[in-house]
Amino acid sequence: MSKFIKAAVASSVLAASVMGANAAHAATATADARANILEELTVTKDAGTDLDFGTIITTGTAETVVVGNDGTRAACTNVVCTGASDAADFSVTGSASEAVTLTVPTSVTLNGPSGAIMNANLTNTALTALDGSGNGGFSVGGALDVAANQTDGAYLGTFTVTVEYP
Amino acid sequence: MATRSLKRLNNICVGLGMMAAALTLPVQTAQAAGDLLVAPTRIILDGQRGTEVILNNIGSETATYRISLELRRMTAEGKLTAVSPEEVNELEQAAKDMIRYAPRRVTLPPNQPQAIRLGVRAPKNLADGEYRVHLLFRAVPKVTSVTAAPSEQAGGFSVALTPIYGVTIPVIIRHGKLTATAAIANARIEQGDEGQAFAFDLSRTGDRSTYGEIRVVKQGVDEPLLLVRGIAVYPEIASRTVSLPIPADVAAQLKGPLSIQYYEPRNVGGGLIAKTDLVLR
Repeated sequence: MSKFIKAAVASSVLAASVMGANAAHAATATADARANILEELTVTKDAGTDLDFGTIITTGTAETVVVGNDGTRAACTNVVCTGASDAADFSVTGSASEAVTLTVPTSVTLNGPSGAIMNANLTNTALTALDGSGNGGFSVGGALDVAANQTDGAYLGTFTVTVEYP
Repeated sequence: MATRSLKRLNNICVGLGMMAAALTLPVQTAQAAGDLLVAPTRIILDGQRGTEVILNNIGSETATYRISLELRRMTAEGKLTAVSPEEVNELEQAAKDMIRYAPRRVTLPPNQPQAIRLGVRAPKNLADGEYRVHLLFRAVPKVTSVTAAPSEQAGGFSVALTPIYGVTIPVIIRHGKLTATAAIANARIEQGDEGQAFAFDLSRTGDRSTYGEIRVVKQGVDEPLLLVRGIAVYPEIASRTVSLPIPADVAAQLKGPLSIQYYEPRNVGGGLIAKTDLVLR
Protein backbone atom coordinates (compact mmCIF):
# COMPACT_ATOMS: atom_id res chain seq x y z
CA MET A 1 0.00 0.00 0.00
CA SER A 2 2.71 2.42 1.03
CA LYS A 3 4.59 1.54 -2.13
CA PHE A 4 1.59 2.75 -4.09
CA ILE A 5 1.60 6.00 -2.16
CA LYS A 6 5.32 6.40 -2.78
CA ALA A 7 4.86 5.74 -6.50
CA ALA A 8 1.99 8.20 -6.61
CA VAL A 9 4.01 10.84 -4.78
CA ALA A 10 7.00 10.25 -7.01
CA SER A 11 4.95 10.55 -10.17
CA SER A 12 3.23 13.71 -8.96
CA VAL A 13 6.64 15.22 -8.22
CA LEU A 14 7.71 14.30 -11.74
CA ALA A 15 4.55 15.79 -13.21
CA ALA A 16 5.04 18.96 -11.18
CA SER A 17 8.61 19.37 -12.38
CA VAL A 18 7.63 18.82 -16.01
CA MET A 19 4.84 21.37 -15.73
CA GLY A 20 7.23 23.72 -14.01
CA ALA A 21 9.60 23.48 -16.96
CA ASN A 22 6.78 24.34 -19.37
CA ALA A 23 5.61 27.22 -17.28
CA ALA A 24 9.11 28.65 -17.16
CA HIS A 25 8.92 29.36 -20.88
CA ALA A 26 5.74 31.36 -20.50
CA ALA A 27 6.60 33.38 -17.44
CA THR A 28 9.14 33.45 -14.67
CA ALA A 29 7.17 31.59 -12.04
CA THR A 30 8.54 28.90 -9.80
CA ALA A 31 6.82 26.30 -7.71
CA ASP A 32 8.31 23.81 -5.35
CA ALA A 33 7.10 20.26 -5.11
CA ARG A 34 8.19 18.50 -1.99
CA ALA A 35 7.67 15.00 -0.73
CA ASN A 36 9.13 13.71 2.45
CA ILE A 37 9.61 9.97 2.06
CA LEU A 38 10.37 8.31 5.35
CA GLU A 39 12.03 4.99 5.96
CA GLU A 40 9.46 2.63 7.34
CA LEU A 41 9.36 -0.67 9.10
CA THR A 42 6.64 -3.25 9.55
CA VAL A 43 6.13 -6.13 11.93
CA THR A 44 3.49 -8.72 11.07
CA LYS A 45 2.54 -12.13 12.33
CA ASP A 46 2.12 -14.56 9.47
CA ALA A 47 -1.56 -15.43 9.02
CA GLY A 48 -2.67 -18.60 10.72
CA THR A 49 0.51 -19.15 12.69
CA ASP A 50 0.37 -19.30 16.47
CA LEU A 51 2.47 -21.10 19.02
CA ASP A 52 0.22 -24.13 19.31
CA PHE A 53 1.01 -27.25 21.32
CA GLY A 54 -2.12 -29.04 20.11
CA THR A 55 -4.29 -31.03 22.49
CA ILE A 56 -2.60 -32.83 25.34
CA ILE A 57 -4.14 -35.63 27.38
CA THR A 58 -2.44 -36.32 30.70
CA THR A 59 -1.74 -39.83 31.88
CA GLY A 60 -0.51 -39.12 35.42
CA THR A 61 3.15 -38.55 34.62
CA ALA A 62 4.88 -35.21 34.11
CA GLU A 63 6.12 -34.33 30.63
CA THR A 64 7.61 -31.44 28.74
CA VAL A 65 5.94 -30.96 25.38
CA VAL A 66 8.34 -29.32 22.96
CA VAL A 67 7.36 -27.48 19.79
CA GLY A 68 10.46 -26.54 17.81
CA ASN A 69 11.00 -23.22 16.06
CA ASP A 70 9.91 -24.93 12.84
CA GLY A 71 6.54 -25.84 14.37
CA THR A 72 7.07 -29.60 14.68
CA ARG A 73 6.28 -31.23 18.00
CA ALA A 74 8.77 -33.63 19.51
CA ALA A 75 7.43 -37.08 20.34
CA CYS A 76 5.46 -37.15 23.59
CA THR A 77 6.22 -40.22 25.72
CA ASN A 78 4.42 -39.67 29.02
CA VAL A 79 1.32 -37.86 27.70
CA VAL A 80 -0.85 -38.25 24.63
CA CYS A 81 -0.39 -35.42 22.12
CA THR A 82 -2.93 -34.98 19.32
CA GLY A 83 -3.85 -32.28 16.86
CA ALA A 84 -1.65 -30.06 14.76
CA SER A 85 1.21 -28.12 16.33
CA ASP A 86 2.69 -24.86 15.10
CA ALA A 87 5.24 -22.17 15.91
CA ALA A 88 4.43 -18.44 15.68
CA ASP A 89 6.08 -16.93 12.61
CA PHE A 90 6.77 -13.21 12.33
CA SER A 91 7.86 -11.10 9.37
CA VAL A 92 9.82 -7.87 9.61
CA THR A 93 10.39 -5.47 6.72
CA GLY A 94 12.43 -2.30 6.67
CA SER A 95 15.57 -0.84 5.16
CA ALA A 96 17.85 -3.22 3.26
CA SER A 97 20.60 -4.85 5.36
CA GLU A 98 19.47 -3.06 8.52
CA ALA A 99 20.66 -4.59 11.80
CA VAL A 100 17.89 -5.32 14.31
CA THR A 101 17.71 -7.14 17.63
CA LEU A 102 14.90 -9.16 19.14
CA THR A 103 13.54 -9.37 22.65
CA VAL A 104 11.64 -12.58 23.37
CA PRO A 105 10.88 -13.59 26.98
CA THR A 106 12.47 -16.84 28.13
CA SER A 107 9.35 -18.09 29.86
CA VAL A 108 5.64 -17.43 30.01
CA THR A 109 2.96 -18.46 32.52
CA LEU A 110 -0.35 -19.82 31.29
CA ASN A 111 -3.46 -19.53 33.43
CA GLY A 112 -5.97 -22.34 33.48
CA PRO A 113 -9.21 -23.20 35.26
CA SER A 114 -9.53 -22.43 38.99
CA GLY A 115 -6.07 -21.00 39.45
CA ALA A 116 -4.17 -23.79 37.75
CA ILE A 117 -1.01 -22.62 35.99
CA MET A 118 1.50 -24.01 33.56
CA ASN A 119 4.89 -22.73 32.52
CA ALA A 120 6.30 -22.63 29.02
CA ASN A 121 9.89 -21.80 28.08
CA LEU A 122 10.17 -20.00 24.77
CA THR A 123 12.76 -20.40 22.05
CA ASN A 124 13.23 -18.37 18.88
CA THR A 125 15.26 -18.32 15.71
CA ALA A 126 17.82 -15.54 15.51
CA LEU A 127 17.32 -12.35 13.52
CA THR A 128 20.35 -10.07 13.46
CA ALA A 129 19.81 -8.14 10.23
CA LEU A 130 17.31 -7.78 7.40
CA ASP A 131 18.38 -9.09 3.99
CA GLY A 132 19.37 -7.10 0.92
CA SER A 133 15.70 -6.51 0.07
CA GLY A 134 14.82 -5.38 3.59
CA ASN A 135 13.04 -8.57 4.62
CA GLY A 136 13.52 -10.69 7.68
CA GLY A 137 11.64 -13.12 9.83
CA PHE A 138 11.78 -15.20 12.94
CA SER A 139 9.81 -18.00 14.60
CA VAL A 140 8.94 -18.64 18.22
CA GLY A 141 8.62 -22.17 19.56
CA GLY A 142 8.44 -23.43 23.11
CA ALA A 143 8.58 -26.15 25.73
CA LEU A 144 5.47 -26.62 27.86
CA ASP A 145 5.90 -28.12 31.34
CA VAL A 146 2.94 -30.38 32.01
CA ALA A 147 2.66 -31.52 35.63
CA ALA A 148 1.69 -35.08 36.52
CA ASN A 149 -1.64 -33.94 37.96
CA GLN A 150 -2.26 -31.01 35.61
CA THR A 151 -5.88 -29.85 35.84
CA ASP A 152 -7.90 -30.35 32.65
CA GLY A 153 -9.25 -27.33 30.83
CA ALA A 154 -8.26 -24.39 28.68
CA TYR A 155 -5.04 -22.52 29.43
CA LEU A 156 -4.43 -19.02 28.17
CA GLY A 157 -1.29 -16.91 28.16
CA THR A 158 0.32 -13.99 26.38
CA PHE A 159 3.94 -13.24 25.60
CA THR A 160 5.51 -10.10 24.23
CA VAL A 161 7.91 -10.06 21.32
CA THR A 162 9.72 -6.84 20.46
CA VAL A 163 11.82 -5.94 17.46
CA GLU A 164 14.38 -3.33 18.54
CA TYR A 165 15.69 -0.88 15.96
CA PRO A 166 19.14 0.44 16.83
CA MET B 1 -15.34 -1.35 -11.34
CA ALA B 2 -13.96 -4.78 -12.04
CA THR B 3 -11.40 -4.43 -9.29
CA ARG B 4 -14.05 -3.36 -6.83
CA SER B 5 -16.21 -6.40 -7.44
CA LEU B 6 -13.11 -8.54 -7.34
CA LYS B 7 -12.24 -7.02 -4.00
CA ARG B 8 -15.71 -7.75 -2.73
CA LEU B 9 -15.45 -11.32 -3.93
CA ASN B 10 -12.10 -11.53 -2.21
CA ASN B 11 -13.66 -10.28 1.03
CA ILE B 12 -16.40 -12.86 0.79
CA CYS B 13 -13.84 -15.57 0.17
CA VAL B 14 -11.80 -14.41 3.16
CA GLY B 15 -14.97 -14.37 5.25
CA LEU B 16 -15.91 -17.86 4.15
CA GLY B 17 -12.40 -19.04 4.76
CA MET B 18 -12.42 -17.65 8.27
CA MET B 19 -15.78 -19.22 8.96
CA ALA B 20 -14.51 -22.53 7.71
CA ALA B 21 -11.42 -22.19 9.83
CA ALA B 22 -13.55 -21.37 12.86
CA LEU B 23 -15.70 -24.41 12.27
CA THR B 24 -12.93 -26.91 11.73
CA LEU B 25 -10.39 -25.61 14.22
CA PRO B 26 -12.25 -24.53 17.33
CA VAL B 27 -9.09 -24.85 19.49
CA GLN B 28 -7.09 -22.24 17.59
CA THR B 29 -7.09 -18.63 18.73
CA ALA B 30 -8.80 -15.99 16.63
CA GLN B 31 -6.84 -14.23 13.91
CA ALA B 32 -4.48 -12.01 15.83
CA ALA B 33 -4.71 -8.32 15.10
CA GLY B 34 -1.82 -6.00 15.67
CA ASP B 35 0.29 -5.92 12.52
CA LEU B 36 1.87 -2.50 12.33
CA LEU B 37 3.94 -0.11 10.27
CA VAL B 38 6.07 2.63 11.81
CA ALA B 39 7.94 5.42 10.01
CA PRO B 40 10.56 6.79 10.41
CA THR B 41 12.72 4.14 12.09
CA ARG B 42 14.99 6.51 14.00
CA ILE B 43 14.56 10.01 15.37
CA ILE B 44 17.34 12.47 16.13
CA LEU B 45 16.40 15.82 17.59
CA ASP B 46 19.39 18.13 17.40
CA GLY B 47 17.89 21.44 18.37
CA GLN B 48 14.43 20.79 16.92
CA ARG B 49 11.52 21.06 19.32
CA GLY B 50 9.58 18.12 17.99
CA THR B 51 8.55 15.83 15.18
CA GLU B 52 6.00 13.15 14.42
CA VAL B 53 5.97 9.43 13.81
CA ILE B 54 3.48 7.64 11.60
CA LEU B 55 1.80 4.50 12.90
CA ASN B 56 -0.30 2.51 10.46
CA ASN B 57 -2.51 -0.52 11.06
CA ILE B 58 -1.54 -2.91 8.26
CA GLY B 59 -3.52 -5.80 9.71
CA SER B 60 -6.92 -6.93 8.47
CA GLU B 61 -8.80 -6.01 11.65
CA THR B 62 -9.28 -2.94 13.79
CA ALA B 63 -6.61 -2.86 16.47
CA THR B 64 -5.74 -0.76 19.50
CA TYR B 65 -2.12 0.27 19.86
CA ARG B 66 -0.32 1.58 22.89
CA ILE B 67 2.67 3.88 22.53
CA SER B 68 5.10 4.06 25.45
CA LEU B 69 8.53 5.42 26.33
CA GLU B 70 11.00 2.69 27.20
CA LEU B 71 14.61 2.70 28.28
CA ARG B 72 17.19 0.43 26.72
CA ARG B 73 20.88 -0.07 27.30
CA MET B 74 23.30 -1.47 24.82
CA THR B 75 25.27 -4.53 25.88
CA ALA B 76 28.86 -5.30 24.88
CA GLU B 77 27.39 -7.55 22.18
CA GLY B 78 25.34 -4.69 20.73
CA LYS B 79 21.99 -5.97 21.95
CA LEU B 80 19.44 -3.60 23.46
CA THR B 81 18.16 -4.71 26.85
CA ALA B 82 15.39 -3.26 28.99
CA VAL B 83 16.25 -1.17 32.07
CA SER B 84 14.33 -2.11 35.22
CA PRO B 85 12.74 0.80 37.17
CA GLU B 86 15.22 0.59 40.07
CA GLU B 87 18.25 0.75 37.75
CA VAL B 88 17.24 3.96 35.95
CA ASN B 89 20.06 6.50 36.11
CA GLU B 90 19.86 10.31 36.08
CA LEU B 91 20.55 10.65 32.37
CA GLU B 92 17.80 8.19 31.43
CA GLN B 93 15.31 9.82 33.80
CA ALA B 94 16.11 13.25 32.33
CA ALA B 95 15.52 11.89 28.83
CA LYS B 96 12.17 10.44 29.84
CA ASP B 97 11.12 13.66 31.57
CA MET B 98 11.74 15.99 28.65
CA ILE B 99 9.70 14.12 26.04
CA ARG B 100 5.99 14.76 25.56
CA TYR B 101 4.00 12.70 23.11
CA ALA B 102 0.41 12.11 22.11
CA PRO B 103 -1.71 10.14 21.59
CA ARG B 104 -0.55 7.31 23.82
CA ARG B 105 -3.27 4.90 22.87
CA VAL B 106 -5.03 4.77 19.56
CA THR B 107 -7.58 2.49 17.90
CA LEU B 108 -7.15 2.21 14.15
CA PRO B 109 -9.19 0.48 11.46
CA PRO B 110 -7.18 -1.41 8.82
CA ASN B 111 -4.93 0.79 6.68
CA GLN B 112 -5.55 3.85 8.82
CA PRO B 113 -2.41 5.85 9.58
CA GLN B 114 -2.09 8.04 12.65
CA ALA B 115 0.58 10.64 13.40
CA ILE B 116 2.08 10.46 16.89
CA ARG B 117 3.32 13.94 17.82
CA LEU B 118 6.54 14.18 19.77
CA GLY B 119 7.78 17.28 21.55
CA VAL B 120 10.91 18.03 23.55
CA ARG B 121 11.04 20.47 26.43
CA ALA B 122 14.60 20.65 27.67
CA PRO B 123 15.05 22.16 31.15
CA LYS B 124 17.05 25.43 31.30
CA ASN B 125 20.10 24.04 33.08
CA LEU B 126 20.30 20.80 31.09
CA ALA B 127 23.84 19.46 30.88
CA ASP B 128 25.26 18.94 27.40
CA GLY B 129 24.98 15.39 26.22
CA GLU B 130 23.00 12.84 24.32
CA TYR B 131 19.69 11.76 25.84
CA ARG B 132 17.84 8.75 24.54
CA VAL B 133 14.59 6.87 24.95
CA HIS B 134 13.02 4.16 22.83
CA LEU B 135 9.47 4.58 21.61
CA LEU B 136 7.57 1.30 21.85
CA PHE B 137 4.60 0.62 19.57
CA ARG B 138 2.57 -2.39 20.54
CA ALA B 139 -0.93 -3.69 19.93
CA VAL B 140 -3.14 -4.21 22.95
CA PRO B 141 -4.52 -7.75 22.85
CA LYS B 142 -8.23 -8.28 22.76
CA VAL B 143 -9.56 -9.49 26.08
CA THR B 144 -10.42 -13.18 26.09
CA SER B 145 -11.78 -14.69 29.26
CA VAL B 146 -11.11 -18.25 30.26
CA THR B 147 -14.83 -19.02 30.19
CA ALA B 148 -15.08 -17.84 26.58
CA ALA B 149 -12.21 -20.11 25.63
CA PRO B 150 -12.71 -23.15 23.43
CA SER B 151 -14.70 -26.00 24.91
CA GLU B 152 -12.74 -28.32 27.14
CA GLN B 153 -11.52 -31.60 25.80
CA ALA B 154 -12.53 -34.66 27.74
CA GLY B 155 -9.56 -35.80 29.82
CA GLY B 156 -7.17 -33.23 28.41
CA PHE B 157 -6.50 -29.56 28.01
CA SER B 158 -5.96 -27.00 25.30
CA VAL B 159 -3.39 -24.24 25.29
CA ALA B 160 -3.67 -20.82 23.64
CA LEU B 161 -0.64 -18.57 23.70
CA THR B 162 -1.24 -15.13 22.23
CA PRO B 163 1.79 -13.11 21.18
CA ILE B 164 1.80 -9.36 21.71
CA TYR B 165 4.32 -8.00 19.28
CA GLY B 166 5.71 -4.62 18.55
CA VAL B 167 8.70 -2.54 17.73
CA THR B 168 10.90 0.06 19.38
CA ILE B 169 12.63 2.94 17.63
CA PRO B 170 15.25 5.17 19.26
CA VAL B 171 14.53 8.84 19.97
CA ILE B 172 17.79 10.71 20.46
CA ILE B 173 18.03 14.24 21.81
CA ARG B 174 21.37 15.98 21.39
CA HIS B 175 22.04 19.00 23.58
CA GLY B 176 25.13 21.10 23.06
CA LYS B 177 28.05 20.56 20.76
CA LEU B 178 28.85 16.86 20.85
CA THR B 179 31.52 14.85 19.13
CA ALA B 180 32.40 11.20 18.80
CA THR B 181 34.99 9.08 17.07
CA ALA B 182 35.13 5.36 16.53
CA ALA B 183 37.80 2.74 15.90
CA ILE B 184 37.79 -0.82 14.59
CA ALA B 185 40.07 -3.55 15.92
CA ASN B 186 40.52 -7.27 16.35
CA ALA B 187 38.76 -8.54 13.21
CA ARG B 188 38.25 -12.29 13.25
CA ILE B 189 36.14 -15.16 11.95
CA GLU B 190 34.05 -16.78 14.69
CA GLN B 191 32.37 -20.14 14.74
CA GLY B 192 28.88 -19.61 16.17
CA ASP B 193 25.90 -21.88 16.80
CA GLU B 194 24.37 -21.03 13.45
CA GLY B 195 27.44 -21.07 11.23
CA GLN B 196 30.35 -18.71 10.82
CA ALA B 197 30.40 -15.02 11.65
CA PHE B 198 32.75 -12.17 10.86
CA ALA B 199 33.38 -10.26 14.07
CA PHE B 200 35.35 -7.24 15.22
CA ASP B 201 35.47 -4.75 18.10
CA LEU B 202 34.01 -1.32 17.51
CA SER B 203 35.11 1.26 20.10
CA ARG B 204 33.82 4.77 20.60
CA THR B 205 35.10 7.87 22.36
CA GLY B 206 33.34 11.19 22.84
CA ASP B 207 30.01 12.32 24.23
CA ARG B 208 27.54 11.03 21.69
CA SER B 209 26.66 7.81 19.89
CA THR B 210 27.92 6.71 16.51
CA TYR B 211 25.62 5.16 13.94
CA GLY B 212 26.14 3.99 10.42
CA GLU B 213 26.83 1.16 8.06
CA ILE B 214 29.68 -1.34 8.01
CA ARG B 215 31.24 -2.26 4.69
CA VAL B 216 33.79 -5.03 4.42
CA VAL B 217 35.68 -4.55 1.18
CA LYS B 218 38.24 -6.87 -0.35
CA GLN B 219 41.09 -5.35 -2.29
CA GLY B 220 40.37 -5.64 -6.02
CA VAL B 221 36.64 -6.33 -5.56
CA ASP B 222 34.27 -3.45 -6.27
CA GLU B 223 31.21 -4.55 -4.31
CA PRO B 224 31.54 -4.89 -0.54
CA LEU B 225 31.61 -8.52 0.57
CA LEU B 226 29.53 -7.59 3.59
CA LEU B 227 27.24 -4.63 4.12
CA VAL B 228 25.17 -4.08 7.24
CA ARG B 229 23.30 -0.89 8.04
CA GLY B 230 22.20 0.38 11.41
CA ILE B 231 25.27 -0.38 13.48
CA ALA B 232 25.19 1.84 16.55
CA VAL B 233 27.47 2.35 19.52
CA TYR B 234 25.56 4.19 22.24
CA PRO B 235 27.21 6.46 24.83
CA GLU B 236 26.66 4.02 27.72
CA ILE B 237 29.32 1.74 26.27
CA ALA B 238 32.85 2.49 25.10
CA SER B 239 33.17 -0.60 22.96
CA ARG B 240 31.05 -3.41 21.52
CA THR B 241 31.57 -6.42 19.35
CA VAL B 242 29.93 -6.53 15.95
CA SER B 243 29.23 -10.08 14.79
CA LEU B 244 27.92 -10.49 11.25
CA PRO B 245 26.71 -13.95 10.18
CA ILE B 246 28.32 -14.98 6.89
CA PRO B 247 27.27 -17.59 4.36
CA ALA B 248 29.92 -20.17 3.39
CA ASP B 249 30.68 -18.59 -0.02
CA VAL B 250 31.38 -15.20 1.57
CA ALA B 251 33.46 -16.87 4.30
CA ALA B 252 35.68 -18.41 1.61
CA GLN B 253 36.32 -14.96 0.11
CA LEU B 254 37.04 -13.24 3.43
CA LYS B 255 40.78 -13.83 3.25
CA GLY B 256 43.75 -11.68 2.40
CA PRO B 257 43.83 -7.89 2.43
CA LEU B 258 40.50 -6.47 3.63
CA SER B 259 39.22 -3.07 4.59
CA ILE B 260 36.51 -2.55 7.23
CA GLN B 261 34.77 0.78 6.79
CA TYR B 262 32.24 2.48 9.07
CA TYR B 263 30.22 5.15 7.27
CA GLU B 264 27.54 7.55 8.46
CA PRO B 265 24.12 7.02 6.84
CA ARG B 266 23.71 8.78 3.52
CA ASN B 267 20.96 11.09 4.77
CA VAL B 268 23.33 12.74 7.26
CA GLY B 269 26.22 13.17 4.87
CA GLY B 270 27.61 9.69 4.47
CA GLY B 271 31.01 10.57 5.89
CA LEU B 272 33.60 8.02 6.92
CA ILE B 273 33.66 7.47 10.68
CA ALA B 274 36.37 4.84 10.92
CA LYS B 275 38.38 2.57 8.67
CA THR B 276 40.82 -0.26 9.23
CA ASP B 277 42.91 -2.20 6.76
CA LEU B 278 43.98 -5.67 7.71
CA VAL B 279 45.07 -9.00 6.34
CA LEU B 280 42.94 -11.97 7.37
CA ARG B 281 44.42 -15.45 7.14
